[in-house]
Formats: sequence, C-alpha cells, structure tokens
Amino acid sequence: MSAYVAVVVVGIGSYLLRVSMLVLTARTGVIPTVIERAARYAIPVSFAALATDAFAPSIALARTAIAPAAAVVVAAIAVRRTRSAHAAILAGLPTLWIVTALIGK
Amino acid sequence: MRPVRGHAAALRAAGDGARAMAPWLVGVAPLGFVIGVTAARSDIATFAGWLTGPLIFAGSAQAVTLQLLDAHAPMFVVIMGGLAVNLRLVLYSAAVASHWRSRPVWWKALAASTLVDPSAVVALEGYDRSEDPAYGHAHYVGGAITLAIAWLLSITLGVTFGGALPPGLRLELLIPLYLLGQLLRRVNDAVARRAVYVAVALALIGVAVPLHLGVPIAIAGGTLVAIARTERAR
Repeated sequence: MSAYVAVVVVGIGSYLLRVSMLVLTARTGVIPTVIERAARYAIPVSFAALATDAFAPSIALARTAIAPAAAVVVAAIAVRRTRSAHAAILAGLPTLWIVTALIGK
Repeated sequence: MRPVRGHAAALRAAGDGARAMAPWLVGVAPLGFVIGVTAARSDIATFAGWLTGPLIFAGSAQAVTLQLLDAHAPMFVVIMGGLAVNLRLVLYSAAVASHWRSRPVWWKALAASTLVDPSAVVALEGYDRSEDPAYGHAHYVGGAITLAIAWLLSITLGVTFGGALPPGLRLELLIPLYLLGQLLRRVNDAVARRAVYVAVALALIGVAVPLHLGVPIAIAGGTLVAIARTERAR
C-alpha cells in the first residue's frame, strides 16, 4: 500500500511542479532565482547520489566488486565517446554479463 | 506557416507535432521498456510500478521512485527523491507559460500533465515554426499524445515481458546504469562537476546512514553546492 501512496504523492507533486510557473508567471512573470539554479543541477546531482547508492553495496564487497566496477568503467567510457546516455546500458550491461561469466561471480 | 483555421488545419499541425516527436521515441521507448522491466522485477506491486507511467510521466523520476521503493527506502525519501529529479519541470512550466497564457484553464490543466523533456522541446519548436499560436497549441497536442501513447505502451510491454527474463541478466543494474549515462551526459561545467563530486562523496558516506537518508542528504548537499557556486560565479 505504501508503494501506491508514494507513487500517487510523487505524481501529484510532479503535476504541481508542471503547473507551478503557469500559475506563478501569470501573476509575477518571473521565476525565483534559487529555484532556477536548483532546477538546472537537479538531475546530475540526484542521479549521482542515486547511482552511487545503487552501486556502492555491490562494489564494497571485494568478491562481487569486479563485474559491476568493470560495467561502470566501460559504461562511462561509452557515454563519453558516444555522448549518448543509452550507451551506458548498451555497453555496461554486456560488460557485466561477460565479466561475471569469466570470473564466475 | 498559414494560420490554423478549422479542424483540418489543426489536425495538420498536430500531425507535424507527432512527426517532430518521432525521433525522441527512439530513446524514450527503450527507457519505458526498462522501467516496465524494473517494475515487474522489483519487490513492489507490479501495478504500482506501472502506475508511475500515467501518474508521474517522467522517466527519470519514475526510475528514481522505483529504485528507492525497491530498496525499501522510507516513504518521505522516495517522495523527495522523485520530486528532486522532477524539479526541472518548473523550468519547462516557465518556458511554455507565456504561450499558454490565453488558453482556457481546462486546456492548461490537461496539457500540463504531459509536460516533460521531449514534449517541452516539441512545444517550443511548434511556437517557433509559426506566429499563429493556434498552430503551436495543436503542434504540442500532437506531440504530447504521441509521446504518451508510446511511453505507456513501452512500459506495458516491459511490465508484461520483464518478469519472464532470467535473473542472471542482473537487470536490477539497468536503472543505475541509465542514471550513470544521463549523469555523465549532463556534467558539462565546473559547477555541475563540483556538485556531483559532493553528491557522490556524501552518498558513499551515506551508505552507512540508516533509512536510506544518505540519498536525500547527498542530493541536498550537492544542490546547495551548485546554488552556492553559481552565486559565486556571477
């Protein structure tokens, strides 16, 4: 049940963000500076925190670290070279499978 | 562009919007499938995962919400994580606000529900292509409907077939890899780099913090650094 509540609340909150400036600029015509700055960096900051949190447990354990660590490195190189975010999945996941198959973990 | 008069002209403008959306679908559809797969394979109810599509309607925030729900994070952490990622929607809202000022409230209320990265870009393209606002409105509607259909369809396919995929594929790492890809593509200046370093450092330290509080602490810390550095750079 809590999953449904969380999804509904994030959905309502997201909708309020979508209409926020439609309502506010209709009155004032400007976006608050602090919101503009926070919004500009919200994605890289949030994704960095979440990706670190997701990878940290498997990389912290020596026995299971090699495959995910290799996947992260290859994914990063692929994104840098292709400038495509999808390259992270297309290169990282097969690397994870191959390294896991090679080292047996 | 000639002024949009009548249903036929509005349909043509909507068709232009749908065509403008088509290239976006190449990137959007696989992500929708991945989100569907994640919803099917996570610990939460599959239908709750699918509902992120119509209710949140923003791939990154859906990914984050599913990731945190699957990690059994407390509800306020899930909510804060999802909304932090969607903070950028405020900017899109501001970008279309002047174009939509004359539209009826019901139209704005409906149109806002599909306002997200691709639809915002397609909307602004439409308003650039013609001086007639009616063309831009229909262009947006065509693009947004196309996006919504493709998005919900791809999530549904992922939900339907995701559970049948073998666990050895380690698909639980799909979303973190996606986040990594999006992150690397968006770190383009010194302020972003510094904010990301702080967020990563705080998230690493935060792994030891209970209740998954490390994630919101890392997001708050990185955001504060970004705001402070932007202020200093001015």
